[in-house]
Amino acid sequence: MNTFFSQSVWLVPCYPLLGMGLSALWMPSITRKTGPRPAGYVNMLLTLMALVHSCLAFIERWEQPALKPSLTWLQAADLTLSIDLDISSITIGALILIAGINLLAQLYAVAYLEMDWGWARFFATMSLFEAGMCALVLCNSLFFSYVVLEILTLGTYLLIGYWFNQSLVVTGARDAFLTKRVGDLFLLMGVVALLPLAGTWNFDGLAEWAATAELDPTLATLLCLALIAGPLGKCAQFPLHLWLDEAMESPVPATVVRNSLVVGTGAWVLIKLQPIFALSDFASTFMIAIGATTALGAAMVAIAQIDIKRSLSYSVSAYMGMVFMAVGSQQDQTTLVLLLTYGVAMAILVMAIGGVVLVNISQDLTQYGGLWSRRPITGICYLVGAASLVALPPFGGFWSLAQLTTNFWKTSPILAVILITVNALTSFSIMREFGLIFGGKPKQMTVRSPEGLWALVLPMVILAGFALHSPFILAKLNFLPDWHQLNLPLAAVLIISTMVGGGTAMYLYLNEKISKPIHIFSDPVREFFAKDLYTAELYKNTVIFAVALISKIIDWLDRYFVDGVINFLGLATLFGGQSLKYNNSGQSQSYALSIVAGILLFIAALSYPLLKHWQF
Amino acid sequence: MQLEYILVLAAALFCIGIYGLVTSRNAVRVLMSIELLLNSVNLNFMGFSNFLDPSEIKGQVFTVFVLTVAAAEAAVGLAIILAIYRNRNTIDMEQFNLLKW
Repeated sequence: MNTFFSQSVWLVPCYPLLGMGLSALWMPSITRKTGPRPAGYVNMLLTLMALVHSCLAFIERWEQPALKPSLTWLQAADLTLSIDLDISSITIGALILIAGINLLAQLYAVAYLEMDWGWARFFATMSLFEAGMCALVLCNSLFFSYVVLEILTLGTYLLIGYWFNQSLVVTGARDAFLTKRVGDLFLLMGVVALLPLAGTWNFDGLAEWAATAELDPTLATLLCLALIAGPLGKCAQFPLHLWLDEAMESPVPATVVRNSLVVGTGAWVLIKLQPIFALSDFASTFMIAIGATTALGAAMVAIAQIDIKRSLSYSVSAYMGMVFMAVGSQQDQTTLVLLLTYGVAMAILVMAIGGVVLVNISQDLTQYGGLWSRRPITGICYLVGAASLVALPPFGGFWSLAQLTTNFWKTSPILAVILITVNALTSFSIMREFGLIFGGKPKQMTVRSPEGLWALVLPMVILAGFALHSPFILAKLNFLPDWHQLNLPLAAVLIISTMVGGGTAMYLYLNEKISKPIHIFSDPVREFFAKDLYTAELYKNTVIFAVALISKIIDWLDRYFVDGVINFLGLATLFGGQSLKYNNSGQSQSYALSIVAGILLFIAALSYPLLKHWQF
Repeated sequence: MQLEYILVLAAALFCIGIYGLVTSRNAVRVLMSIELLLNSVNLNFMGFSNFLDPSEIKGQVFTVFVLTVAAAEAAVGLAIILAIYRNRNTIDMEQFNLLKW
């Protein structure tokens, strides 16, 4: 068995890193004359190499045991930091997904950023992302997973801040960086606390340790909560979800990658840490509760949005909430399938939306209408993406959602109900977008709406083809659940919920007789969801307020108290000098007096011991 | 007649001299106060020489030196006062406060 490609699979993250370095050559300040386009082409070439390499390695590793090479990175005293890799068919499969979607997103960006001069910066950051994600899935060490997650956080900041002359971009990038950073810092606490307990950061070693570990329950709970907090921020879960909404200020190709893949990185780490979460029941419950809250809340918020990109971003949060629920209930395999089908479906949706936004300028759903006859490919791709996202057999999303619902029904039916509700809400929101964009009559912004260039449409169509084949692919990979394992009535309910959600949306938004905008709820309720549960205000009035207040107090203390004490010493010395100089009165007689006084004092001091014994 | 009385007298004379030295406004009177100080010192020397060292009377030799030096000092002092007087037309000590802060 030839293992050349799987043994050199660590090169896959290196290709995009090389691309990142090379694209700097086409910075406008370096290549001043010939434009930035080669940066994109070079990166696409290297991503293609990464994809081909991963595919060849996948063929080699298929149904083979995992390779686990290890390389010492740093050895200091009794701490050894080794870069452990996990080269199995699952990780290489993830590499294929990452490289594939990145390649398509980069091709998409070639069309989308046609009128942009910043290709070098854009493609360099995209490649940084790709390299980071590839490194993350290959990495078998919690410590290096954390390192990569931090690099991805920095990448998010740079990528959202791509058009930095727009003020909303700057605030969005700031929020994305800080929110994810907070989660990462909690994760770091967990990572650091884990080493003395487990003695290793290797995921296999951690699993071995967790199998027999006997921890104090409080310690285990706190540890697990810290480990959850990192992915919590990464996956845009409540209450660290606002950044994803504001991250929609970045260019659409970046959004494709972020919404489909990057938010999954947190889930990936969660799955890898699964054995540790088994130590604490509370942590699992917490994960499920967070996931369920986010799934329900974000699905409702998505319905109330009028910005098309933001509406999709809340669906992302909702799906990541379902992933949290799945991980919290120890369903790793199903979670992986869900991440795979979700990633493909969401990438299609975002690409379709990006094509519409690029041509019609507006992102406002209320400004759209009547694109179906003019943009059939985009419309069909959108429908394929929507079908793959929600539970609609035989498309991809159905299988994992059905499996999840079945499993939840056995343990806690309430979760199954939540899952079905979220599915219905997501179907409603996705079909609402469809109805508003493609249905109805053309409005001013959409009167002339040509289909995009080939590079804009091709990646979307390829992904749609992939999504349509996903049942076969899943079957080939033995990822499909058996029919007899599934709770068929429950699956039927799931399908009905999809139908009801999507059907209601279609009825409401494709029906000309119902006047738009539609008022389903009363104004305060709609406002509540449209403003994302007032999360921005919540942040502003709690954490930001407290931190700003404490900063101001500390600044004040530093300025006036700490500085003041030292300045007071200086001032006192100055004042002392200025006032004591008047002792030099210029009168020699006063000098004589002070000499005499000094001598008298000296004598008094000398004779003080004698005076004490004076006997009168 | 005891040594202590002499010493106390000399000390009193010294204190009077110090008082005069510090309070006088007339520069000549300051010199006169210095003479009082020196004389009180001489009294000490003479007293110690009589009561403690009657055989070799080194104190008296010192007294002779002090007298000599005091005369010289008074001469120089008066010359300085005269020099200042020539410049500033006064011998008021309170006018000589040019070298202050």
